[in-house]
Amino acid sequence: MNVSGFSKMNELIDVFRLFGFQFFQHALLGGTIAALACAWVGLFLILRKEAMIGDGIAHTAFGGIALGLFLGVNPILTSLLVSILAVLGISYMRRKGLAQSDSAIAVMLAVGFSSGLIIISLAGGFNVELFSFLFGSILTIDQTDLIIVSILGISAIFILGIFYKELLSITFDEEDARLMGIPVRLLSLAFNLLVAITIVLSIKVIGVILVVALLVLPGLSALQLNLSFKGTTLAAIGFGILSMTTGILLSSVYNVATSGVIVFTAAGIFLFTAIYRRLE
Amino acid sequence: MLNNIRSGVMKEKTPILEVSNLYVTRSNSLVIEHASFTIHQGDYVGIVGPNGGGKTTLLLALLNILPRTEGTIRLFGQNIESFSNWEKVAYVPQHAINFDPQFPLAVRELVSLGRVNRSNLGRTLKRQDWESVDEVLEFMGISGIADRRVGQLSGGQKQRVFVAKALVRKPEIILLDEPIVGVDAETQEKFYKKLSDLNLKKGITILLVTHDLTAVFCRMSKVMCINRWVNVAGITEGVEPEEVLRKAYGEHFHFVFHKHECERVFEDE
Repeated sequence: MNVSGFSKMNELIDVFRLFGFQFFQHALLGGTIAALACAWVGLFLILRKEAMIGDGIAHTAFGGIALGLFLGVNPILTSLLVSILAVLGISYMRRKGLAQSDSAIAVMLAVGFSSGLIIISLAGGFNVELFSFLFGSILTIDQTDLIIVSILGISAIFILGIFYKELLSITFDEEDARLMGIPVRLLSLAFNLLVAITIVLSIKVIGVILVVALLVLPGLSALQLNLSFKGTTLAAIGFGILSMTTGILLSSVYNVATSGVIVFTAAGIFLFTAIYRRLE
Repeated sequence: MLNNIRSGVMKEKTPILEVSNLYVTRSNSLVIEHASFTIHQGDYVGIVGPNGGGKTTLLLALLNILPRTEGTIRLFGQNIESFSNWEKVAYVPQHAINFDPQFPLAVRELVSLGRVNRSNLGRTLKRQDWESVDEVLEFMGISGIADRRVGQLSGGQKQRVFVAKALVRKPEIILLDEPIVGVDAETQEKFYKKLSDLNLKKGITILLVTHDLTAVFCRMSKVMCINRWVNVAGITEGVEPEEVLRKAYGEHFHFVFHKHECERVFEDE
């Protein structure tokens, strides 16, 4: 075996050794839960043509993170509160006819993000921790974060699993769903709260700037495959988890930004599926 | 044969839809004015009228999706406000056939959505629900394409899928809003045949918005003409189609209607 062969072998052994570290196990577990929830919720968002609500809420959550850091409270919890308020605000504006969906999202995005900026300037400027929420830092996820991510993620997946068929019915034909006695308004609000929960739990993993990619790309890739709804859902979840684990693994080995590699992998999968569709 | 079919469906049965003095306004203009009519169990009603005459508006008002300005609607003897038995009512909207082809639904999945209702909220569909789905797929002749993506089907196949979704809830009345736009004449005729089967064999009351006057006068028991006001007439041998239609479309319209077309429709069966 030559020198380069030895170095490749060593790299492989290093990769396997990574699985023995607790930080890596935390990252994989937290990342998988976030990817699963994001891909599933994201597929519904795409089909409801509301992908931008994800971006809007993520940016609003930034205000919550700043508030948490300022008050010394866990930022995931404060951003959850602020995101839920943002969802309720968007729903209220739409219902009362104050603004269309996209305008309501734009208003909330701007208000949430600017309140974050004000709080940060009051606190004396940006710090490393704030950057970790902006761009994600899954490799530094601790036990408390993992517990919060797991509780939020499993709750979101559980609720989605229970009302999966009703949400599909509403997404497909809202009028017909209403006619069938499905509580459309209540379930739509519950779904938007699920979006808020999913985004908040993913912030530590991928950061507020890029979370929309984790929501949209896996579902979009799965849609290229022309599968049934069940097949598309499973493919989206599979692509989400694949992007996440590949991202964590590659970024650990090559020491580059994890969130960047996750999004890059997800975008690569999208490219492949789009080419596959063209060739089909 | 024509007379037998008609006398079968023309019997006065229980009124299931009673509309009295109905006024509906959309975007500040009056679309339906002073409409009063009764639909009985087993009626097969063709809804005709010029574009913009208020056909879709009337259907949406009957389903309580659009609010009305005045009047009362009673469904199965109950005021529509307090009516809760919506499983008995099915609706196939105008846009059904033009739905987003990218929407990832297989035929069987789409039809199964017809079984999703208030009574099974938060629970998975039972074996009986899936049996009903398969039964309706069989009846509509689409079992062979059950696993195909709906977006990949032809116009005629899509119609049958959407009607199957409406039927799988086992309704007693079905409202269809121009479900056969943009398909060839043969497919249209097969579709009308299926609807006649539903009406005659299963006793389902049908309200169908259509521009196909031949189908209305050959197959249906009543014609409802809508042009802001609503006029319902029973179709019997004595009624001249021209007479009924002129009331709806106005004096300046000229109708050419060949009675022998009906004979041809039934010869095919």
